[in-house]
Amino acid sequence: MSTIADAQLDALAAGPGPQLNTFRHYRHLTVELAISQFKLRYTQSVLGYFWSLLKPAMIFAITFVIFVGLFKIKDGTQFYGIQLLLGIVVWTFFAECTASSMMAIAGSAGLIRKAYFPRSILVIAASMSSLFTFLINLTIVFVIAVLLHQIDVGFRIVLVIPLLLELYLLAIGISLFLSALFVQFHDIGHLWDVLMQLLFYGSGVMFSLSYVLQRAHLALATGQTKPLPPSNLWAVVLVACNPIMQTIEDLRHALLTPQAPWTELVVTGHLAAVNQYARFDHPWLLPVPFLVVVAVLTIGALTFRARARTFAENL
Amino acid sequence: MTLSDRDLAIRVEHLSKRFRIPLDRSSTLKHRLTHWRSASRYRILEALLDVSFEVPTGEFIGIIGHNGSGKSTLLKILAKIYRPEVGRITIAGKVSPFLELGVGFNPELTARENIFLSGAILGLGRPELHRLFDEIIGFAELEQFVDHKLKNFSSGMEVRLAFSLAIQAHAEILMMDEVLAVGDASFQQKCFDIFNRYKREGRTVVLVTHELAAVTNYCDRALLLDHGRLVADGTAAAVTAQYRRAIGLAADGSRLAPEIDRWGSRDVVITAARMLDERGVEDTNPVTGGFARIEFGYEIQNDAVADFTCVVWLVRGDGLAVAESRFPVSQYAQVGSSQRGSAGTVRYDIPQLPLLDGEYSVNIELQGRRDGATFDHVDHGIRFRVIDRGGRHGVIDPGGVWSVAASELPVVGWPDRLGSTT
Repeated sequence: MSTIADAQLDALAAGPGPQLNTFRHYRHLTVELAISQFKLRYTQSVLGYFWSLLKPAMIFAITFVIFVGLFKIKDGTQFYGIQLLLGIVVWTFFAECTASSMMAIAGSAGLIRKAYFPRSILVIAASMSSLFTFLINLTIVFVIAVLLHQIDVGFRIVLVIPLLLELYLLAIGISLFLSALFVQFHDIGHLWDVLMQLLFYGSGVMFSLSYVLQRAHLALATGQTKPLPPSNLWAVVLVACNPIMQTIEDLRHALLTPQAPWTELVVTGHLAAVNQYARFDHPWLLPVPFLVVVAVLTIGALTFRARARTFAENL
Repeated sequence: MTLSDRDLAIRVEHLSKRFRIPLDRSSTLKHRLTHWRSASRYRILEALLDVSFEVPTGEFIGIIGHNGSGKSTLLKILAKIYRPEVGRITIAGKVSPFLELGVGFNPELTARENIFLSGAILGLGRPELHRLFDEIIGFAELEQFVDHKLKNFSSGMEVRLAFSLAIQAHAEILMMDEVLAVGDASFQQKCFDIFNRYKREGRTVVLVTHELAAVTNYCDRALLLDHGRLVADGTAAAVTAQYRRAIGLAADGSRLAPEIDRWGSRDVVITAARMLDERGVEDTNPVTGGFARIEFGYEIQNDAVADFTCVVWLVRGDGLAVAESRFPVSQYAQVGSSQRGSAGTVRYDIPQLPLLDGEYSVNIELQGRRDGATFDHVDHGIRFRVIDRGGRHGVIDPGGVWSVAASELPVVGWPDRLGSTT
C-alpha cells in the first residue's frame, strides 16, 4: 500500500515545474480571483449574469419614464434617451466598482491571514469584474445607438479609450482608499452610500451640464432670466471639477453625438458666452478633473500602502 | 553561529512582535471621534521577544510550544503575512505563499474552479494546472466530484483536495502551520509520505505543530517557544523532551494533566511520561506487533517513603482498561544499601504490542507498598494511537499461529448443527 503511495508521489514530484515569475504569478492570480468573483456574484440566481445587463436597462427605463414621461424634460434634440442610457451605464460601473471593491479586503480575511501576495490584487480583481460588465454594457449602448440612428460616428471615437482609462483609474483610486479604511472603520460604507447619492446628482447622469449651461445662456440672451447669483455659479464650478461628470460628458461626445464635450466647452466660447452675462470665466477648470483623478489615485494608493502591512493583524 | 550566505535559508535577528489588542473593540468612527483625546485602551501582547535563529538550506525545522507561545505568529512573519516590529529577517529562496491547506477555497465554487483559484495562490499557472489537473483529482480520489460544489464535500474530501493541490507548489522554503491537525490517520500518513519526499529533495521546511512525534520523526532541529521567547534550540529529540518535561512539571500541558485527571498524596510524584520506539525515539504511533516502551520519571518528596508500587493501565479511547501491570520499586534495592535516590526513571517494555488500530492512553499510578494508598495518579499520562498495518478489525492480536495439515478432521455431530441431513 505504501509503495503505491510512494509511486504516486514520485509521479507528482516529477521535477520542479516551470516556475511562474513573480509578475506573471500576480497577474495570473488577479485574473483567477476576478473570474471566481465574477462567478460567485451571479451564483444562485436564475438569470445569473443577465442581471448585470438588466439592471442598467431597468434603471434607465424608470428614469426615462419619470423624466421624459412625467416631467417632460427635453434637451431640444432627439438624443436625450441614448445620452441618459450612457450616463446610467457609466454611473452603474462607478457605483458597483467602488462598492464591491470596498469590501475586497474585509471580505477576504481568510485569504489575507493565510497567504502572502500584494493586497492590492484583491481590489484590482474586484474592480475587474465590474469593468468587464461595463465594457459589455457600453458595447450594447453603442449597438442600440447605431440601430436607432442616434449616433454620428467620427474619429473622436478613439477618445473613448483614454476616457475609460481615466474613469477606471478614478474608480481604482477611490476603491483603494475605501477598502483600506473599511478594514477598521465600517462607517466608511454608510458614508460612501450617502456620498454616492450626492455624486449621482453632481455627475450629470440625468442631465448634461453643457445642455444646462447652453439653456442658461439662451435664457439670459433672450432676457428671460436674470444672471445666476454668484453662489449658484460656484455650485456649477464645483460640479465642473467632478471627473465623473467630465468623463460622462466627454464619453457622450466621443461615442454618440457631436455635442460639445466638456473639455471643449471650457476651452471654447460656451462658458465664455455664459460669462458674458454671469461672470463665469474659469478656464483654469480645464485640467481640474484630470488633476482630481491623479490626486485621488495618489491618495488612495498611499493610504492603501500604509495600511496594507497591518491588514492581516487588523482583520 | 553564522552561516555563510550560500547555505542560508532563513536568518532571524532579534525579532520582536507585539500586538495591541483593543480592550473595547471600536471599529467605528464615532468611537474614534468621541474618544480621540483619551488614549485608546489596549492590552499589549508580547507575541515574540528577541527571537534569533538561523536555518540552513535543506533543514527540516519544527517549532513547538504551548498555545499562544508565538509559534504561529513567527511563521506568519516569516511568510510576510505579519510585519516584524523589531528585528531583521533574511530569507533566501522562494517561500511558499500558503500556511494552511485549502487557502482560497470557496464553498460556492466547484472542485475544478477551486483548483484553479487556489492553484493561482500557490503560484501555479493555468496551463500547468490544466496539465496537472488529472493527477491532482486522481490523488485526491475525487474523480466523480470534479464539478460538484465544495460546500457539498465532506471535510475529508476537502482536505484531500487541498492536500493534493498543496504538494504541487514548487517553493524552496515551505511553511506549514498545523497541517497535521486536520484529517484522519490515512491523511496523516500521506502527510508523512510528503515530509519524507521533501527531506529527500532537500527542501527547507518550517513546521509548526502540536504533534511532538512528528517533530521527533521528521525534524532535524526544533525550536521551543514559551510566551514569545525562544527557550530552546537544538535537536528535535532534545527539545521535544524539554518541552514535555516543562509541561509535565507545570502540570498545565496536555501530557501530565490538570487536577481532575490527577490525584494522590504527592508523597511520590510522576514527573514526566512518554512512549518510545525500539530506537529510543519518542513515538506515540506504535504499530501492532511492534516494540513500545512506556517510560516515566518519579521523584520522592516525602523522605519517609522508601518504596512504592508502579501501576500502568492501557486504556482504550472509550475508557475501557485493556490491560494492567504492576511493578514494585524499592529505593534501597535500586541505588544501593545505604543511600536513597530521590528520583528515577521506570520503564515498561512491550516487545510485541498486541493492540490493533485505535486511540489509547496510559494511566499511571504510584501506590504505597503496604496500604495501597495513592501517592500520585495520572489519567491519560500518554496518549497514543496504534496503527495496524494489516488493517484488521478487532481490539487485540492474540498472536495465534495458523497451520494446515493434509489429514482429515474426524466429524462428530457437526453436520447436524449446520442443518444438513445425514
